[in-house]
Amino acid sequence: MSALGLVGGLLQAVLVVGGAPLLLGMMRQVRARLEGRAGPGIAQPWRDLRKQLRKETITPRGTSEMFRVAPVLMVAMTLVVAVVVPFVGTASALPAVADLIVVVALLAHGSVAIALAGLDTGTAFGGMGASREVTILALVEPTALVAIFALSVRVGSTSLPEIVGSTLDDPARVVSPASLLAAVALAMVIIAETGRLPVDNPSTHLELTMVHEAMVLEYAGPRLALVELGTAMRLTVYLGLLANLFVPWGVATEPGVPALLVGAVAFAVKVGALGAALACAEVFLAKLRLFRVPELLAGSFLLAVLAVTAAYVLG
Amino acid sequence: MNVTGVALVAALVAGFGGGVAGLVVPRTVRPVVVGACVAAAGALATLAGVAAMAGVAWSAALPWLLPLTGVELAVDPLGGVFLAVTGAVAVAAGVYGIGYARGGLDGRAVQAALPVFVASLLLVPAAGSIGTLLVCWELMALASLLLVLAEHGKRAEVASAGRWYAVMTHLGFVAILVGLLVLAGATGDGSFAAVREQARAPETAGLVFVCCLVGFGSKAGVLPLHAWLPRAHPEAPSHVSALMSAAMVNLGVYGILRVGFDLLGGGAPWWWLAVLVLGAASAVYGILQAAVGSDLKRLLGYSTTENMGLVLVGVGAGGMFAASGDAVLAALALTAALLHVVAHAAFKTLLFLAAGSVLHGTGLRDLDAMGGLRPVMPFTTVAFGLGALTASALPPGAAFVSEWVLLQALVHGAGSGTVVASSIVLPVAVGAVALTAGLAVATFVKAFGVGFLARPRSAAAAEAHESPPTMLAGMALAGLACVGLAVLPTVVLPAVAGVAGGVTGSGPAVTGAVTIQLTGVSGTMSPLLLVAALAVATALVAAVVSRRSARRARLWDCGGGPMSARMEYTATSFAEPLQRVFDNVLAPDQDVDVTHYEESRYLVRAVAYRRTLRDRVEHRLYEPVLAAVRGWGRAGRRLADGSVHRYLTYGFATLCGLLVLMVVTR
Amino acid sequence: MHAIQLLNLAAGALLLTAVLVLWRRELPVIVRVFAVQGVALAALVAALAREEGSAELAAVAVGCLVLRGAVLPWLLRRALAGAGEVQRETRPVINVATSLLAAAALTLLALAVSRPLVDLAPTPASRAVPFAIAVVLIGFLVLVTRRHAVSQLVGFLLMDNGITAVGFLTTSGIGLVVEIGVALDVLLVVLVLQVLTGRMREAFGDTDLDELRELHD
Repeated sequence: MSALGLVGGLLQAVLVVGGAPLLLGMMRQVRARLEGRAGPGIAQPWRDLRKQLRKETITPRGTSEMFRVAPVLMVAMTLVVAVVVPFVGTASALPAVADLIVVVALLAHGSVAIALAGLDTGTAFGGMGASREVTILALVEPTALVAIFALSVRVGSTSLPEIVGSTLDDPARVVSPASLLAAVALAMVIIAETGRLPVDNPSTHLELTMVHEAMVLEYAGPRLALVELGTAMRLTVYLGLLANLFVPWGVATEPGVPALLVGAVAFAVKVGALGAALACAEVFLAKLRLFRVPELLAGSFLLAVLAVTAAYVLG
Repeated sequence: MNVTGVALVAALVAGFGGGVAGLVVPRTVRPVVVGACVAAAGALATLAGVAAMAGVAWSAALPWLLPLTGVELAVDPLGGVFLAVTGAVAVAAGVYGIGYARGGLDGRAVQAALPVFVASLLLVPAAGSIGTLLVCWELMALASLLLVLAEHGKRAEVASAGRWYAVMTHLGFVAILVGLLVLAGATGDGSFAAVREQARAPETAGLVFVCCLVGFGSKAGVLPLHAWLPRAHPEAPSHVSALMSAAMVNLGVYGILRVGFDLLGGGAPWWWLAVLVLGAASAVYGILQAAVGSDLKRLLGYSTTENMGLVLVGVGAGGMFAASGDAVLAALALTAALLHVVAHAAFKTLLFLAAGSVLHGTGLRDLDAMGGLRPVMPFTTVAFGLGALTASALPPGAAFVSEWVLLQALVHGAGSGTVVASSIVLPVAVGAVALTAGLAVATFVKAFGVGFLARPRSAAAAEAHESPPTMLAGMALAGLACVGLAVLPTVVLPAVAGVAGGVTGSGPAVTGAVTIQLTGVSGTMSPLLLVAALAVATALVAAVVSRRSARRARLWDCGGGPMSARMEYTATSFAEPLQRVFDNVLAPDQDVDVTHYEESRYLVRAVAYRRTLRDRVEHRLYEPVLAAVRGWGRAGRRLADGSVHRYLTYGFATLCGLLVLMVVTR
Repeated sequence: MHAIQLLNLAAGALLLTAVLVLWRRELPVIVRVFAVQGVALAALVAALAREEGSAELAAVAVGCLVLRGAVLPWLLRRALAGAGEVQRETRPVINVATSLLAAAALTLLALAVSRPLVDLAPTPASRAVPFAIAVVLIGFLVLVTRRHAVSQLVGFLLMDNGITAVGFLTTSGIGLVVEIGVALDVLLVVLVLQVLTGRMREAFGDTDLDELRELHD
C-alpha cells in the first residue's frame, strides 16, 4: 500500500461517485443533441438523485431483506472497484484486490445482488428482468475472461497495476492486433454488462424489451437513487477500466499534486470521450432482440479468441 | 503409533462401532447414538487428516485381516487431504442426521449402514495397497447403495436410481479392478510402495491409466459416466446426499491423483490432456443441466458433476505442466484442484443439508412449487444463501478463491509446454471455466431467488416450518466452514499447497498468511482484505441512506388487482432464455397447446405448455445400449422356452461340437 | 509505420473481415466488408514488398488492390443488384452464433496446423500464416453454410484471398505471372457465377441455392 495508491484511491472514489451521474448526463445530452432535442443538461442526473434522496423510503409488501440490502451491496461493490483499480495513478490502494479477475467478478456480483432483489419482489417484471440479466451475465463471462487471458499473457500477470504499468512502458503494444481485438471484445462485454444499446435499452419501460429496468421497477426514493447511482458508477468504472487497459497515458506514476491532477483530468477526459463515443454510436443502433444477443456475444467471444491467437502468433 | 494412527484407528472404531450400535440400540435413542458416532468418527478423521498433511505419516500392515491380500494402511499427505475433508463433512452430516432421521429414517439397516459408509470413506484414502483399496472401494459402494435405497418404500424413483447406481458403480469398479490388477500384476504383494518401485512399459502404464480414469471418473461423475449421479444423489436421504456429493465423489479424484501422479509417477501429456478435456466438458455440461433443471436436489447433483469437472481441469492442467517439466506451475494447478475439493465439500454439504431442511419442512424438491421460505425458515434461508453465494464462485466466496488460483495456473501456463497445449488448450479451458462460472451464477440465483425469496408458489411452501435444532447445528457447522474458507483460505491453503508441492516434487506454489502470494509467477490476492474493503464500503453506503423509517406499500401490479403467486416467475420460466440459447445442446421436447374460443380464433381460452428435458448424453448414449441389452435379453428368452429336451440338446450339441473341434484342431 | 507492424495489422484485418462476413446477414454489407478485405490483402502484399524492396511485389500489390478491392466487389454488387428483392442471408444452414463459435474453433485449428510451418522459418511473414489459413477455413465455412448464391460467391472469394495470402506469406511472392493467371481465373469464375445467378433468378425468381435441388427431380 503506497502513498500514491492511497491518495489515488480516495481521489478515484470521489471522482467516480461525483462524476458518474455527470457522465450519464453528458451521454444523454449528446444523444439529445444528435437527435435534435435540447436535452436537460448534464447535471440532470444529479438533480434527479437529489430529489429521490429526499423522498421517503418505500418498502413493497412481501419483500425481504434482500430487496433492502441489494442496492447498498451493489454500490458498495462498485465503490470498492472504484477505489482499487489504478485509474488515476499506477499504484493501487489495495494491490492485493486490484486483480482483473477479482474486479470483473466483483462487478458481476453487483448485478447478481440486483437480480436477486428483482426475484425477491415476486412480480413478473422482477423475475423477467432477473432471468434476462443472469442469462446475459452467464454468456458474457467467457468473453470477459478470454479477453483478460489475451491481455495478461503478454504481461504475465492479471494484476491491474502491472498491466497498466507494462502498457505505459511499451506503448507500441497498443496498436498490435491482439490488443485491438481484445479491446473490441472487452467493449462488447462492457456494453452487455452495463445494459447499453444494442443489448438493453436504458431508457425503455416496455415490458418486452426491459432487462435492467424490469429488475428495479419496484424501487423508489433513496433506494432508487442508490440503484441509479450504482448503475452510473458501474458504467464509469467499466469505461475507466477499458481506457486504462488500452490507453493508460496520463496516469500518475509518482505521488505529487501535479501528477495526480494530470491523472485525474486524463481519467475524466478518457472516460468522457469513451462515453460520448458510446452515446454517438447508440443514436444509430436499435435494440437487438433478446435472442439475437447470444449472437453478439458469440461474436465477441470469437474476437477474444482471435485476440489470444494473435497474442501467440504475432507476439 | 503416532497421532495420525491413533486418530484414524479411533475414527474407524467409532465408525464401525456406530454400525454395530445402529443394529442393537433401541429405536428411541438410535439416531442420537449413531449421529454421535458418525460425528466423532468425522472429527477424529479430520484430526488424522490434518496431522497427515502436516507430515506425520503413518502406516500399518495387518496381513491376518483379509485372506490373500491382507490389509495395509498408509496415510500420507495426499490421503490426508481427503481424510480431513471426508471427516469434516461427516461431522456436519452426523449432527444433522440426528434430527433428520426422525422422519422415518431410524430403521436398523439405514442407521447401521451410515457409520459403516463413513468408515469406508475414511478407509479408501488410507488404503496402502491395491488389494486394500479395492476392498474398501467395494465396501463404500455397497454401504452407499444401501443408503441410496433407504427411502425405496416412499418413492418409486428410488428403486430405479438404486439400479442405475448399482450397475454403474460396479462397471466402474470393474474398470478400476482391471487397471489396478494390471498394475499390481508384476509386484508380489501389491503394496503401493512396491508398485511405485516397479518399472513398466509406457503402453502398460497408458492402459492402466485409461482404465483407472474410466473407473474413478465414473465415481467422480465425469461426463459421460455421470448418469448415475443426478439420479442417486437426490434420492438418498439428504445427509447421505451430502456425504456422497461432498466426500465420496472426491475419492474419484483421489484415485486419479494417486494412480496417475503417485503410482505411475506422472505420464504422457495425452493422459492429462484427456483429463482436462473430460473435466471441462463435465463442468460445462453439468452446470448447463443444473441451470435449466428445477428439481433442487437433482440440480445440486449436476452441480457436483460441474465442480468435479473443474477439479479435473486443475488436475489435468497440473499433469500437463508436470509432463512438460514445469513443476512449480503443476503444483499451482494441483493446489487449485485440491483447494476446490475442499471448498466444494464445504458448500455442497451446506447446500444439500439446507435442501434436506426444505424437504423436511415442506416435503418439496421442485423449485417451481417453492418460494417465500424466507419468513418461515429464516435459518435455512441464510444457510442456503451462503451456500449459493459460495457455489456461484463470486467474491467473497471459498470457490472464488479456488477458481482464481485455477485461472492463475491456466494464465501463467501460457508460456510453458508445447505450443498446441498452451495456445489452444489453455484458452479453451479458460473459456470453459468462465462459462461454467457464469452458468453457476445463473443456476444459484435461480435456486436461491426462486426457491427462497418472493412468495410461496404452493400450499406446502406456505405451511413450511423450520427444522429441529440438530439439523440447524449441522448446517451451522458447514456454514462456518464456508465462511472460514471464504475469509481466511490462507489457513488451509499452505497445507494444501504443501501437499500439491509434494505430489509434483516442487515446493509449495502458494504462500502467504493474509495475502495469497503465488511463488514463481506473479499474482497476489487477499480474500481477507477484500472482505474488509467490502464491509467498510457497505457500512459507508448504508450509513448514507438508512436514516428514515420505511413505509410499506403495494407492489406494482399494473393496476390489475392484487398479485397472485401464479404471476410469479418460476424456476422453469427463469431458465427459459438459457434453455433457448443452448437449444442445440439441450434439445428439449416442448409442446405448446393453444385452445381458442369457438367464436373467434383471436380469443385464447387456454394455453398449455409442456416441457421435458432429458439428459441428452444419457438419451443418446445409454438408451441405445439399454435397448440393445434388452434385445439380447429377448433373443436369449427365445433360446430358453422351458422345454427340458431343448436344454439337454444344448448341452449335447455343445459337447459334440467341442469334440469335433478337438478332432479338427489336432 | 514499421513494415512489420503494417503486416501484422493487415493480417489481423484480413481475419477480422472474414469474421465479419460470417457475422453479418445483409449482403450489401458483406460485399463492402469483402472490399475492405481486398484492401487489407493489398496492404499485406505492399508491406511484404516494402520489407523486401521488391518492385515486382509492389506491382502485384497494386494489382491486388484493383482486382480485389475494386473490380470483384463491383461485380458482386452487380450480381446483387440482379439478385432481386432478397438482400439478406435469411436462414443460414447453421445459425450465426454457432458458426461464429465454429470460426473460433477453426482459427485455433489453423494455429495448430500452421505451427510446423512457422517453426520452419520464424520470420514476421510466416508468423502471420495461421491468420491466412484461418481465412481459408472460414471462407470454406461460409461456402458450406450459406444458402444465398452471392454469399456463397463471397465465401469462395474469401478462400481465394486466404490462399493468395498464404502464398505470399510462405514463399514471399509466387511470381507475377502465376499471380496474374490466378487473378484471371478468379475473375472468370466470378463472371460465370454471375451469369449463373442471373439465369437462376430468371428460372426461379430467387437465388436461394436450395432451389437447385429441384433440378434433380
